[in-house]
Parts: sequence; C-alpha cells; structure tokens
Amino acid sequence: MKQHPLCTDTEHELDISRLALPAEVRREWASLQTRRHFLGRAGKVMGWAAMASLVGDRALQTHASSPKTPAGAPGPDELKLPHFAPKAKRAIYLFMSGGPPQLDMWDYKPNLAAQYDKDIPDSVRGVQQVTGMTAGQARFPVAPSHWDFKRYGQSGTYVSDLLPYTSKLVDDLTIIKSTNTDAINHEPAIMLMNTGNMNAGKPCLGSWLAYGLGSMNDNLPTFLVLQTKLNPKQDNQPVSSRLWGSGFLSSEYAGVSLRSGGEPVLYIDNPDGVDSATRRQMLDAVNQINRETYEEVGDPETNSRIAQYEMAYRMQTSVPELADFSKEPQTTWDLYGEEAKEPGTFAYNCLMARRMAERGVRFTQVYKRGWDVHGNVVGTLPQLCEEVDRGCYALVTDLKRRGLLDDTLVIWGGEFGRTVYSQGGLSRENYGRDHHPRCFTTWMTGGGVRPGISYGETDDYSYNVVKDPVPVRDFNATILHCLGIDHNKLTYKYQGLDQKLTGTTPANVVQGILA
Amino acid sequence: MFADKTLWKDNGARRRWTAALVLSLLLLSLPWIVRLNGQPHADWQQFLGRFHPLAVHLPVTLILLVPLLELGGRRKPALREAAGFVLVLAFAGCIASVMLGYLLAFGSGTAGPGVTRHMWGGILLTVCTMLCLLTRPLWSALPTDKVYPALLTITLIMMMWAAHQGGSLTHGSNYLTMYAPRPIKTIASLGRSQAKSDSFYVQHIAPIWDKKCLSCHGDGKVKGDLRMDTFEALMVGGKDGSVIVPNKPDDSLLLKRVTLPESHKQFMPAEGKPPLSKEEIAWIRAWIQQGASPTTTHLAGISIRQDSDVPLEPVGDYSALQPEIERMKNAAGAKLLTVSAKPSDGLILNTLDVAGNFGDAQLAQFEKYAPFIVEVDLARTAVTDASFSTLAKFTHLRAIHLDNTSVTGNGIEKLAGLKHLTYLNLSGTKITSEDAARLKSLTSLQHIYLFNTPAQPLAPAEARKTS
Repeated sequence: MKQHPLCTDTEHELDISRLALPAEVRREWASLQTRRHFLGRAGKVMGWAAMASLVGDRALQTHASSPKTPAGAPGPDELKLPHFAPKAKRAIYLFMSGGPPQLDMWDYKPNLAAQYDKDIPDSVRGVQQVTGMTAGQARFPVAPSHWDFKRYGQSGTYVSDLLPYTSKLVDDLTIIKSTNTDAINHEPAIMLMNTGNMNAGKPCLGSWLAYGLGSMNDNLPTFLVLQTKLNPKQDNQPVSSRLWGSGFLSSEYAGVSLRSGGEPVLYIDNPDGVDSATRRQMLDAVNQINRETYEEVGDPETNSRIAQYEMAYRMQTSVPELADFSKEPQTTWDLYGEEAKEPGTFAYNCLMARRMAERGVRFTQVYKRGWDVHGNVVGTLPQLCEEVDRGCYALVTDLKRRGLLDDTLVIWGGEFGRTVYSQGGLSRENYGRDHHPRCFTTWMTGGGVRPGISYGETDDYSYNVVKDPVPVRDFNATILHCLGIDHNKLTYKYQGLDQKLTGTTPANVVQGILA
Repeated sequence: MFADKTLWKDNGARRRWTAALVLSLLLLSLPWIVRLNGQPHADWQQFLGRFHPLAVHLPVTLILLVPLLELGGRRKPALREAAGFVLVLAFAGCIASVMLGYLLAFGSGTAGPGVTRHMWGGILLTVCTMLCLLTRPLWSALPTDKVYPALLTITLIMMMWAAHQGGSLTHGSNYLTMYAPRPIKTIASLGRSQAKSDSFYVQHIAPIWDKKCLSCHGDGKVKGDLRMDTFEALMVGGKDGSVIVPNKPDDSLLLKRVTLPESHKQFMPAEGKPPLSKEEIAWIRAWIQQGASPTTTHLAGISIRQDSDVPLEPVGDYSALQPEIERMKNAAGAKLLTVSAKPSDGLILNTLDVAGNFGDAQLAQFEKYAPFIVEVDLARTAVTDASFSTLAKFTHLRAIHLDNTSVTGNGIEKLAGLKHLTYLNLSGTKITSEDAARLKSLTSLQHIYLFNTPAQPLAPAEARKTS
C-alpha cells in the first residue's frame, strides 16, 4: 500500500501480499473485507434496493406467490392458454399397462401364417438389443396371430376377432399403427408415455393439462385416475402414483386416484357426530394456521395443501353424486353391460369416465393392467380383450350419442407393443410375446382427430415402422394440440431448462391424423 | 430550362453529361447486348449474382435517405451537404446492384415477365439516379429550379416499383396480399380472373403449385423454362420436355423432382423452400395416375377431408368488461372462460360448478355479455323454455348445451336467428321431433343431439336431413 503523503509514520506498512506466505493465505487476505470494501459495497446495495423499490413488486414476483398459483408460477390465466381455439376440451386416456400385442388385435399381417415357426429374417430384426428375457433364445420363430381378422366399417379396417365390440367403432377411430417408443421395459416405457421422460420426476400429461388449462368444475379435481381391479390370472405389472404425479409442478396438479373398490375416496364422509358446519369450522382454523405457516416460511406447497383441503371438502358432496349410478337409465346398462354395476371393473370405470366428462373433469386416465403376455397369449389375451372391449365401445358410443365426443378426445394405448417372434415355446396352440418398442398400435377418437383412418404402416412382420412413424413425443404433442396447446409453448422453468412434456428432442404434431 | 448557362457551358459539366449519356445508352441497351435467353450459364456468374439480394438493399436505403436529407437541409445545411455524397453512393450502389442482378439472372437462366419488369426497373432507376446526380448542382445553385426535385420524385417512385417487382420474384406475387384483410385482398385481386371450378385440379392440385412452386415457375419468374400458372403451360413443360405424363406418375419429371431426397441437387422446390407434404405428393401422384385431367372432379382412392372449420367469426371487443369477468373467475358461481388466448375467439359460459342453482334468472344476467359468448354450457342446470328468448340474444353462439335440463322445446324456434350455431345438445330433455324440426332454417347447424328424448335418438347425419 502506498504511503500517504501526509502520514508522518516512517514505519513501512506491513504489506501482506509481499510477505513470504503461502499463496492461498495471501489470496484469502486479499478477499477479506476491509472497511473500504464494506462501505463501497454498502453503497451498491443501497442502489439496488432503491432500484428494486422503483421497479416495484415485479422484480420480486418470481419469489412471491398467491394462493391461486402455489408454486409462484404463472397460473392458467397468465399462461395465455389455450394457445388457439381447441377442438377438445377434455380427454379420457384408456391406458393398457403392460403392452398389448398389436399383432393379435390391430396390426393385421396375413402373410405371417406362411411364416409359422420360421426364423424372423436378420434383415428385419437388425442388430438392436432385445430384452434379457429373450436375448438367450437360440431362435426367434415367427408366431402368427392365433385369431382371424375381418374388415369392418366403411373404412374396411381389419380388426381381430378378439374385439367384436370395438371393431364396430372403426369408422370413428384414428388408428395409429406406427407408434413407437425408446424404452423396452415397463417402468421406463410407461414413464416415457405418461411424462415424456423415462426417469421419474417429470409431470405427467394430465398434470400438464391441469396446470395449463385449469379446471372446468371447481367441485371436482381437474385430473382423475381410475384403476381397474386386478385380475389375479393376469401378469400385472405395477402402476404407481409416479405416473400421475405432478413432478416439479405444484402437487395441486397431480392426478387424484379414486379407489377401485368400496368408497371411491376413503374417509370422505364426515365421521358420526361431525356435521358439515363443524367440518367447515375446523377447515377454516386449519387454513388459518397454514396461512400463517406460509407467511412465515413461504413454501408454496403450503398453499397446495390449503387448496387440497378445500378440494376435499367440496368433494364430500361432488364425489358421492359422481359415483351414484342409480339414476342411470336402462340404456346405459344395455350399452356397458351388467358388469359396469360392479365398482372397479373396466366397464364401471368407463361409465365413470363418461360421468366425469359430463361434469367437466379435464383429464381422466383409466388404467387397465395385465397386458404383459410373455407366455400363454392364447390363454390370457381373450380374457383381457373381453374385459376392455365392451367398455371401450360403450364409452365412445355413449359419448357420441350424448353429444360429448365432439369436444372430448379419447385415447387408447399401452407403453409398447409385443414381438412377432415367440417368447418361449411356440406351438400351433400357444405362444408368448416379448416387449417390442419399435412399433405398436394406439387409437384416438373424438375432438380434433380424423375419424375412420389408419395412420402409419409397419413391415410384414410388424417389427419396424415403414411409413409415418409416430414417436411418443409426437403422440403427446398431438394430444396437446387437440386440446389447444402448442407443446413448445407450454413450458415450466426448472433445473435451468424450459421443461416441457415433449422433451428436448424436437417433436411434431402429427398433422395426418388431425381433423 | 437550365437557368444558369454558365454551368452548362462549363467544360467539366459537358464532359459529365456526355459520360452520363453514354452510360445510359449502354445500360438501356444491355438487354440487347447480353440476352437473357433462359439458359443457365457459368457458375461464377451465379455465385456473384447471388449477392444481388444483399447488395440491392444498399441503394434502396440510400435513395430513401436523399429526400430526407434534402428536406432536413432546410434547417441544417450540413445535411444538404451530406445529401450529395449519399446520392453518389446510391448511384454506385445502383450500378453494382444492376450488374450483380444481371449476373444472377443470366447465370441461373431465369427469365419471365417478372424478371424483365424487375430488370427494367433496376436499369431505369440507375439512369434516374444518375440524372438526379447531374441536375443537383443546378438546384443547389438555384433552389427554385424544379428539375431536380421532379427527378428525385420519379426516382423514388421508380425505386418502389422496382423493389416491389424484386420482392415478388423472391416471395411470389401473392406474398404481400396473402394475409391481408379481405377488403384489401379484393382490391388487389381486381382484374385477376378467378377460375371457379370444382375440378380436382383447380380445387386441390393448382393450390399446391400456388403455394410451393409459382414463386419460381409463375408469371413472375420462370426457371428452367417451366411455367405452372396455367394448366396449358404446365402440360407444355420446361426445357427438359414435358413434366407431366398422364397416367404415368413414375415417368413424370415433376413428381420425380419433388420426391428426390431433399439433399439432392435437383430436388424441388429448390433453395430450401418448403417441400411438398406427403399428402400433396400423394394427391399429385393419384391425379397423374388417373389421367392428369383438368376437369375431373373426383379421384378414386383419394378422399379429401372437407375443411369443416369455418373460420371463427371474431367477436367484438369486450375489454371493458374484463374486470368483471376476472372477478367472476375468482368467485363462486358461473364463470366466463375464454375460448383461447385470442380474445376475439370469444367466451364460454361455464355453469358446471353451480349447475343446480343456475336458472333462467341467472342466465339473463349474462345478457350484457351476449355478443361475446360463443358457447353456453347449460347442461343439467335449472333453466327452462324461458331460456330460449334469452339465448336468442347471444348472436355469436356456436354451441349450446341444454342436455338434461327441463326444456320441452316450447319456443325453440327463437334460436333460428343464431346464424353461427353449429352444435345443439338437447339430450335427456322433453323435446319432440316436431320441435327439433322447427330449427330447419338454421343451415349452419351440423350436430343436433336428441338422445334420450321423445324425439328419435337420431344420428347427427340423419338429424341434419330432417331438421
């Protein structure tokens, strides 16, 4: 440091930086605050503070939040959604967990009969990895479908004999034969299908819709999940709440799962001796405490909690009404079958989905597990198809006759397809099919999609897509499009990325299936 | 004419005028010296020529600047001094642009009426700029002289015309008017005959050319000697012969060129312009396959989905009501939701939350929003037949949900004035088929739902016929 001219002190000031000290000690000394530093910085801080007060609340808005937008993120109003006038206001997703075999249901390959027990050509199979379950097999023998296909409807679409009801719908359906995914195992594949990412932790389609479009009925959750009762004879892969989780979005947008048996929501009724007014009083008090917590801590999840208590309170009246099928006319039971009276069956859930659509639930997802037919396809598949076939038909028909299909998008599909080659033993009577991500069949119908068409083509072995592939991201982009959302614009800043359902690989809306 | 004879007599001035005359003659005779014959020439010419679109903006800006500087010069003489220099630069830019442009057209073998117009525009503009340059000293000496201002005005007009011709060459002649409001469009298309025909060619094939091909193969620019703006010209073909061989899509050059890999040198549309979609290619293929006729109205195997999307009729401006709409959103009760982020798409009256308590009186309260509401969801509400007279005032309605209400159809004919109505849901009501038939004058109505009513539960298509 330079000696001040007026300083009479003849002693040289101790200059730390010149002493024989280890470099880091000198650096540390240099970085320590001196009085001069402190004053200098304090001046800047004052400047920033003055500027913040000039700019006003805006500058602080990213940290603040209101009860309506718990995570401090823009709510549906500020998001400016839908981006354009939507064709569909709501969607119903019939999720076939486990991977339905496209070859036995939709993707008709008549030439395969002649290929029975012949090895699938290497040129078709290529060099990609198969699952550990069949990688050890010495052969990959072709297993033609056990069932006949017939043509249906004006579109003359081939459908398997396993689907006598759904086949009546073909002129209303948009059948996508070229859906394909990147994942070969259940968990990553089902995550990819639902959240656009194989790793858990991203918001699912329903949560994005709830976040983006908001509610049409404040008395019911925006996003509801219905699980079909397990059939112990089937190979049930687990589904978990990760699939309807809201990821980094506020937990308010997570799917609410209704129970598949007994009461749809546990403990929703007030206990004996507690009437509605008492409940209200209790909730008000709890909310008051929660609000104080929020003031103190500022965790946006506290606001989600308040919103959820309120939702539960409203659901005390709306859910019993929703689940009360007693006023359904006989025509309903004629259509869905007597099975629909039993809670937890697929048919029941389909009827429930229609009732939810009527009541303005934005997104309903019905899960049906058990499609993982590694072996005994001939034994299991007819059961599976019987369980869902009539329900699918009834739901679409019912929506259509009630005038709801115009603005409801119905989606049917699983997480992947199944192989043409047999897993395990192949005989004329039976065979198994392994996971197959390279092509599988899904369908949509209703608002926004073009009825009576098949989109995309697979090769003679239903192994590779040869025309118009629809990867999962395009599939999801198209669903969002039908609901008036530009998938590139519905984003949420998290981990330094503008996160979106369709991920970072560019996705395209499948124009060919739009109405 | 030239007031100051001394200037004219000045030797230097005479030399300048002579040089200008020679240069003008040279420029004007350029099209005859080097003919644009539609044949491509050396690559280096094209290489240099492609800098034309870049270079051309320089003189455009400079010429625009000149009158501004001259006007500004009235107050600040320094600006007027600058104007002379800018004019020199503009002239130099004009010469460079004309040369580069000529190289582009000559090198790539582009020809056509549009190219010719743009070429003459450029040449004349250069001559005009030069004349400005020559007459300016007279004007600065004697500001009452009118020659320079007049020439400058002509130059400006000339430039706008030439620039517009150039823009039309690059982007197609309908680039400016394509998205213009309808009145402007009608003015712009006056005098242009519009082929009215329902043939497949006119309806579906020609529009593909319009969108993807005409900017290089139309009346403006004609590349490869191929014009596609009329059916006859298309069938004549280009410099490689015919491009369409009826019944033989695989032998048709046009189809070959549009289906090449995109990276291929001969791929069309060239220069990174948007390629044809699969659907468009399929239509062209089917059209050629089935005879490439200009008149046939239907092609086997091709079903064109009718765009049933009537463009949404924009509703008026309701921003004054916005605060109230916001208040409703945050309160209990019926809400007005927006159809989309675009306010003019209108509002939806949503009563799902409060269906049981929403009756005719509540509906009437929304009358002041009536012209802005395009959809009312009254399903399972307590409204009655009295609602029809209220709904009749909602003139922009496209969809009405009255399902599972107690309406009986008494007074339903009041809805007949709703000219935009496409969807009417009366399922689960007491409506009879006679009542439904009273809406037959509503030609816009596409879907009427009568499920679970005394009227037959008709399929929408049949309902259309009876109603």
